Amino acid sequence: MAEKLGVYICSGCDIGTSLNVDELVDYAKKGKLAGITPVVKKSAVLCSPEGKAEIEADIKEHGLDGVVLCACSPRVKWDIFQFGAVQVERVNLREQCVWSYKEDPSVPNQLPLMAKDYIRMGMMKLSKSRIPTPDLPETFKTIMVLGGGFTGLNAALEAAKMGKDVVLVEKAAQLGGKAATMYKSFPLSAPYTTAEDTGIAGLIEAVNANPKIKVLVNAELKLLEGAPGLYTATVDAGGEQKLDIGAVVLATGWVPGDKSFLAPMGYGSIKNVITASEFEAMVKAGEIKRPSDGKAPASVAILTDVTLCTKDAVAAEPCPEGEAVAEAPAAAAAEGEAEAPAYPSTESAKHLAYSSELTSLVALKHAGYVREKLPNAAAYVLYDHMMVPGINERYYKAAQDEAGIMLSKASITGVTEDADGGVLIAAKDTLLGPDVEIKADLVVLPTAVVPTTAHEPVMNFAYRQGPGFPDLDVFDGFADSNYICFPYETRRTGVYAAGCVRQPMTMATAREDAAGAVLKAVQCIGSANRGVAVHPRSGDMSFPVFNFQRCTQCKRCTEECPFGALDDDEKGTPKPNPTRCRRCGTCMGACPERVISFDNYNIDQIGSTIKEVYVPDDMVTGGPRVIVLCCENDAYPALDMAGFRGKSWSPFVRFVPVRCLGSVNAIWVADAISKGVDGVIMLGCKYGADYQCHFVKGSELCSRRKTNIAESLGRLGVEAERVEQYEVSIDEYDKVPEIIDRFMSEVITKFGPNPFKGY
Amino acid sequence: MSNTVRVQPDLKFIQELQQVGGESLKKCYQCATCSVACPLSPADAPYPRKEMVWAQWGLKDRLLNDIDIWLCHNCGTCSDLCPRGAKPGDLLAALRNMAYRNLAKPSIIGTWMSSAKYLPLLMLIPALIYGFIWSMRAGVLGTAFPLFVAEGHELTVAPGGEVIFGGLFPGDYFIDPIFGAVFLFMVFCFAGGIARLLKSFEGMPRTFIVGRGPEPSFASCLIDTLKNEVAQHSRFKNCGEEEKDVQRVTGHLFVFYSFIALMVVTGVVATGHWFGAWFLEHIMGLEGGLVGLIAWAGHTPMPLWSPVKLLANAGAVGLVYGLMKLTSRRTSLDASKSTSNWYDWYLITVIWGIALTGIGSEVFRLLGQPVLAYPTYYLHLICVFMLLAYLPWSKLGHLVYRTVALAYARKIGRLPMGELK
Repeated sequence: MAEKLGVYICSGCDIGTSLNVDELVDYAKKGKLAGITPVVKKSAVLCSPEGKAEIEADIKEHGLDGVVLCACSPRVKWDIFQFGAVQVERVNLREQCVWSYKEDPSVPNQLPLMAKDYIRMGMMKLSKSRIPTPDLPETFKTIMVLGGGFTGLNAALEAAKMGKDVVLVEKAAQLGGKAATMYKSFPLSAPYTTAEDTGIAGLIEAVNANPKIKVLVNAELKLLEGAPGLYTATVDAGGEQKLDIGAVVLATGWVPGDKSFLAPMGYGSIKNVITASEFEAMVKAGEIKRPSDGKAPASVAILTDVTLCTKDAVAAEPCPEGEAVAEAPAAAAAEGEAEAPAYPSTESAKHLAYSSELTSLVALKHAGYVREKLPNAAAYVLYDHMMVPGINERYYKAAQDEAGIMLSKASITGVTEDADGGVLIAAKDTLLGPDVEIKADLVVLPTAVVPTTAHEPVMNFAYRQGPGFPDLDVFDGFADSNYICFPYETRRTGVYAAGCVRQPMTMATAREDAAGAVLKAVQCIGSANRGVAVHPRSGDMSFPVFNFQRCTQCKRCTEECPFGALDDDEKGTPKPNPTRCRRCGTCMGACPERVISFDNYNIDQIGSTIKEVYVPDDMVTGGPRVIVLCCENDAYPALDMAGFRGKSWSPFVRFVPVRCLGSVNAIWVADAISKGVDGVIMLGCKYGADYQCHFVKGSELCSRRKTNIAESLGRLGVEAERVEQYEVSIDEYDKVPEIIDRFMSEVITKFGPNPFKGY
Repeated sequence: MSNTVRVQPDLKFIQELQQVGGESLKKCYQCATCSVACPLSPADAPYPRKEMVWAQWGLKDRLLNDIDIWLCHNCGTCSDLCPRGAKPGDLLAALRNMAYRNLAKPSIIGTWMSSAKYLPLLMLIPALIYGFIWSMRAGVLGTAFPLFVAEGHELTVAPGGEVIFGGLFPGDYFIDPIFGAVFLFMVFCFAGGIARLLKSFEGMPRTFIVGRGPEPSFASCLIDTLKNEVAQHSRFKNCGEEEKDVQRVTGHLFVFYSFIALMVVTGVVATGHWFGAWFLEHIMGLEGGLVGLIAWAGHTPMPLWSPVKLLANAGAVGLVYGLMKLTSRRTSLDASKSTSNWYDWYLITVIWGIALTGIGSEVFRLLGQPVLAYPTYYLHLICVFMLLAYLPWSKLGHLVYRTVALAYARKIGRLPMGELK
């Protein structure tokens, strides 16, 4: 607990001109925490070297262990306001107070009250905060790379280059993966105009020659026990062995998609219709031949528009999941997978569409093969989208320049067999006319990139939540958690995905991906070693502390933890694994007994902070009061930006930042309502399939828990509508004022004062 | 699906097109800047965008039956604005070159005309014909560079006489019959080419033009075309607005009208000689008055003050002026935007040859320099032969093919957007 506070009120940036700072200083001196607050000062410019020097001098002179800085948002100047072991609480008087204040004519002059509320709240919050002292485990430093394909080999070499020991685990008898089965790759180097050798042989050689890399072939990861920095991996490589592992790079890649999804385009029924992977194998083997008669084709049509195959899958999307999935097993059953899979497959025809960037590039590459192997043959590429982002545009241009490669946009409407064994392709909306028919000797259809994690758990975690990654159906099996903000990160701390297991990608991209995932793995091992969080709260020293005496073994925390950080014993008592934890506080929000806390973020602390808000007894003369619990990753910055851009909103709301809406415990809402607060807004990020939550599920869990809160409120005779959750993304600063003001007018004006007010 | 069209790509055709001036055609990515920029393209299925994709796919049938290649007057605006350097203007020129090569028979001449490597052969034919006449006449006259004294219609070789080309190369027995035969051959071959051209247009859709009434006859369209597009260069003037485009139209107008002037001169000479002097005077035995005037007008060499000679000289000067304009434009083309091909250079060089050897012959004749005058005249004959005999297979073929195509386009209503009011 911070027991000697210094409070500093800045008068720069419009604060001094909007508020009587001297009066605020006097106010803070006389508060109920006056006893532990020896220093209260005003500063002309707190962030100036003089301002900072004054704080540092006071810390020395008075032995302060916490400073409350009433100035700008904690999201700015955080690099200035650091004082070693002294805890810092930032009170946002600028963006969320003076800059965004809107005078309400019926209840004027609220700004000083608001500033006083925030100062009290800040002092209370800091007084309830402790400096965490994490365990410092001795961690294993070895990186395990799963998968010895192009990505895995690159990852192993990158890790070795950084001085790490590497264990490379490959399922097959040889290294090389898919790349070893390819004739050539898309361009990997300047001038990016011609397909080139994959370079896989050189990579394999380099890996085998590297003394830091231990290669295990014919090997499978049977079990991964423990936590990041402390893993024990059981690997079967002709006999089981246990390995000490720090972190894992997942590079198990992809498998060619189920070909039965290509049946609507003639695959299976027409002999001379083959898939891209079959074509690749044919060229790798030496020559291009028609399956029907073994003759060299005079024309090869490469189709990338797979709408015929995917339209059902896409149309099924809005349906309840059960129905959409119902079609896929029919196809799977046709292939004769007899045993009922314990791990539900997430493969569908949609993987054809997800692979479309690769499909475009493969089409260009295969057209090039035709020209290389058969100089008198023509290659027709019929595409719906030509996706050649970035430097690959050069490859596309080079293909266009080739006389024998003919390209047109087209929607394929049918593929049929001609009497002479040729294939007739019907297409509409082409560059050659609205409805055309083209005859080719051989047709190549795209191959879907299906991640290995769509079919198997792959990792075989010894985690309470199961052997695979959770909720991969959201990503159709791709081992990805939130690829826009956090590439490589999976839902399991310590495991970093790279290459096509994460997202269909080119080899050039996979090479960079491998390096990125290795950097993450290295960061993970280092962070675990220092007892701090890896990501996204990198460097956070706090960790959940359990008061097991009061735990009722309800298992909510172990089930709801988005990262599977908590295992449990037979009775259901949670067993924390701090190095798996991302410090979101979802467990704290879940716990009905409130036995989980962080030293610097806990139930009592936030509850007490909320209680510091002054609630006038008469709503008509004093105005209503609404608490906004806002996610500090999305909503809080959006509010800052709104203030920065001169937006303003009702002066009766008070913002309380939370680590994640998932950490919001129902007791906070109950505390607020029982104190007479008229409403509570929970402002979090978007959830659902395109979620933006840093902690994956926080916002979603909160909305589920809100239903329970509403029921409790109903029993107390309080309208459930007084507690609302809204979704904002970080860039929706313009919507925030509207959300707040609408809540004030629709909810508070409609229902009037909280019935508990004044009790 | 009743309108489904079978697409039959032809790789060889693409490669052929690339060889005759369309080497950049594969670069097109169908942005349609060209069709939007073209001042002459019609609203329906505008060119040259569609020709670009047809060419990329080697759709020979469509391209060989495409009237639009003749509607293009090759200002090069499309190529200037093309973001990909695909040079659509060059492609259309290449397609016209293919038409020159293939429309008229015998196609062997088309092949000879398609490449610089056959140029010696093309020159050799007239060179041998006129070389034979020259050497034979030199034997008869006793000298290869004779000077003549004229007594009536009789020419006598005499030192101190004058240079008379008709003395060495007698028109009645050699020049006129040969050129007459060449002219008839050319017209005959052209007729076949025109028939094939019109047949290829048969599938063209008709555009209904509001307020125009029933479709006009081909003859009336041809008259309109001659009055506007040909005589006034009305489309050509709308084709591009830049300085170089103005230069091109001016140059072309000068060359065109100078040729007309020279044709009139040739016509007067032929009429005067064959109709006046030979038919009326010699055969019918008429004399004096109008007959004398007709015969006199066609008598060569003419005095310098003769209005016919004045017209001829004016034509020669105009021709040189126009050629200078056209040549300077062509040599200053940005090679990354538009290029000149063999057909362009063949035609412009032959016309230069005609103009310079024609003027040279006259000057050397007047100076009384037989050793210079006769060889220059010999070269002049070769150049004229090369223009006339190979005309249907040369770029000058556009004189006929474009006129026919423009008239046909007028008939079916395929007019530039700007002309539909």
